Amino acid sequence: MLSRATLLRVFRRALFIQAGFNPLAMQSLGLIYALEPAIEELYSDPERRRDAIRRHLAVFNTHPYIAAGLIGGILNHEARIARGEESPEAVLHFKRSLMGPLAALGDGFFWLSLRPALGAVSVALAPWIGGWAALAFFIAFNAVHVFFRAQMFRVGWQRAEGLVDVLGAGQLPKWNQRLRILAAGAAAFAGTVLVAQIDRGRPIAEMEDILGGFLLGAATYAAAHYRARPMVLLYAAALAAAAASMLK
Amino acid sequence: MILHSLLIALWGGLLGLERRAFLQAMISRPLIAATTTGLLLGDISAGVHIGLVFELFFLNRASLGAAQADHDTLPAVAATALASQLGTAFGQPSNAAMWTVGILLCAPLGALGRWFENRLDLRAQRYIRLAVGAAEVGELRRAGRQNLIAMWPPFAMYAAICGAAVALGNLLSLALPWVSAGLSRSLTVAYAGLGIAAAAIAVGECRAPHRAWMVGAAAGIIVAVTYGALR
Repeated sequence: MLSRATLLRVFRRALFIQAGFNPLAMQSLGLIYALEPAIEELYSDPERRRDAIRRHLAVFNTHPYIAAGLIGGILNHEARIARGEESPEAVLHFKRSLMGPLAALGDGFFWLSLRPALGAVSVALAPWIGGWAALAFFIAFNAVHVFFRAQMFRVGWQRAEGLVDVLGAGQLPKWNQRLRILAAGAAAFAGTVLVAQIDRGRPIAEMEDILGGFLLGAATYAAAHYRARPMVLLYAAALAAAAASMLK
Repeated sequence: MILHSLLIALWGGLLGLERRAFLQAMISRPLIAATTTGLLLGDISAGVHIGLVFELFFLNRASLGAAQADHDTLPAVAATALASQLGTAFGQPSNAAMWTVGILLCAPLGALGRWFENRLDLRAQRYIRLAVGAAEVGELRRAGRQNLIAMWPPFAMYAAICGAAVALGNLLSLALPWVSAGLSRSLTVAYAGLGIAAAAIAVGECRAPHRAWMVGAAAGIIVAVTYGALR
């Protein structure tokens, strides 16, 4: 078994999982950095330690938050290998079979749903609450992120393959759809707030500015929908707004 | 100016690491990164206004696996630093025209940051080779430490770019006396254009169903509210 202090050290080091990211072995440098204290405690024989590190130097890549769960699961398997209860193949099979599917789950939920939703809601609130919007975004996101990361690590360490059951029960794909609708709605609202030029909670734009703003927003939305380059759209919108101001 | 450059270089370097190498608690997201940069420079309004435009612009971009998205932190930090320095030259907080200048000049740093990130990833391959070598001779701690050593080049790169943005802001402030009232007004209006475009891009790129209806509904609500307030 591993001591509580070692588990905490591994969890803390797992926060650096992508520090040495590279196209050759992806997150494997971060993985061995995280596992090192546990491997030192589990294996007293230097040869067995070396073998343990070697088997984790192969390609490893998953979502960085999910990685905490996989690292917990790897510790579970390594502890069993150290006790002679299973072969080293088991931990390799565990990693290879789960890192891809769980990465897709994490990317879909955290990067493409939760982050856009909370980011857009915070931006929509910014004209009313100013800099507090950034703090609200930080707290709301990390309430989910830190809880998820810690829970995944705990479940991985205690149950290894049980990670799949826990993630399945969370029904993340169902939440994805709802959060993406929230992101689109909040971003649309933020855009209309910018059109009305809300200042301290009150609209200050004139009607012709509002009409021009809507036309600009609608044209940009249509162009973005048909995959025009976002950077070109950004500069074109600034130019159009500046030109309209000069013609007024 | 030198103190501001050093401060923003340090903060930009740390944010660049937080974005991918360490933690990923979203401190490096444009809204938070720009607001905190504005706070450090005593111009929080610049941070919020520049941060919200870039937050919307990069809302749906994500690095998936080894496929990198444009760097969202660098433009936000650099634009805030630049706009804030323009305001400092006038002895007051920056205004919408200065935010526009910051955004327009620093937006391309997103693509540049991605290019640097890909180059730094390739460079990081040397650390895995060193780690393998260390593991082969049984030096496990040295193998693990390569992960931390790999953070220095990106830190130095992002710090240099963010520090340079402060210097550029000071340099541009020399041209402020030649900016006409008409150009200043156009740049002020262009800020609203940038925000509207960023929001439209965010909705257009969103993977949500029925998003066109949401645009229509939100627009209808704000027209009604604005019309009522203006009357």
